[in-house]
Amino acid sequence: MATPSGQTVNVHDLDVPQLADVRKQLEDELAHLTNSFAQLNQAQAKFRACIENVAEISPNNAGKTILVPLTNSLYVPGKLADPENVIVDVGTGYYVEKTRTQATAHYTAKVAYLRSNLATLEETLQKKRDNLNYVTNILQGKLQAQAQAKA
Amino acid sequence: MSDALQVRLQRASTDFQRLQSDLSNAVESRQRLDAQLSENELVKKEFALLTPKNRVFKLVGPVLVPQDLGEAKTNIETRLDFIRGEIKRVEAQLKEIEGKQEEKKIELVEIQTALQNMQAPVTTARSSALAL
Repeated sequence: MATPSGQTVNVHDLDVPQLADVRKQLEDELAHLTNSFAQLNQAQAKFRACIENVAEISPNNAGKTILVPLTNSLYVPGKLADPENVIVDVGTGYYVEKTRTQATAHYTAKVAYLRSNLATLEETLQKKRDNLNYVTNILQGKLQAQAQAKA
Repeated sequence: MSDALQVRLQRASTDFQRLQSDLSNAVESRQRLDAQLSENELVKKEFALLTPKNRVFKLVGPVLVPQDLGEAKTNIETRLDFIRGEIKRVEAQLKEIEGKQEEKKIELVEIQTALQNMQAPVTTARSSALAL
């Protein structure tokens, strides 16, 4: 990603400090990607929760009393007036009124979109992990060789 | 003579550090713009799927204000154009900083080799002993 790909360097030719640097960089990238992966997973879970919540807003529940959260700890009683439509946050400050089926479709699409992103990210993560293991092995081999040469 | 070189080295390395922080700032804003671009593109896709029956609102402060769908669409279009323009600007900035950084790097190496050459006669004996 951030590595300039001007020329290819055989990792076997690098000395110990250089290998340590490469390993550090790979570790950083891996940490960043793992973090993104966790965030994507969280977002997906949130959208899944939205699908379940939309299912709760059905004509069966029209007119029933609900608790509306004003803050984390303050609730006021309310009534479900319109069981057909919900308002969906589509991003960048825009909100769209949708029917229940439309909203469910919207969230299902979001979950699928995130799933495809997660799959590609998983692949990249695996590749990075392989690279890291490879570099670590070479580094350890070189360190051992050095220790033996000294002994 | 060596003092003058030391001063130059100092100045060059502070310049280099400043360029590095400029570069990371530029990279950061480039990433932020990318995030904004994809968010706006998602909203544009969403708007394309809407029918006139879907009412659109915009969050202004704490209230939702009803919006005309066409108006919202053109708004998103202008935003996308703006973000693309900004990305181009930041890209140019990135290139410029990278070029400057490269120049500084060469300058730094030159000063360092000059310094080493000057110190070399004094320390040759010691450094060759160390090398062994």
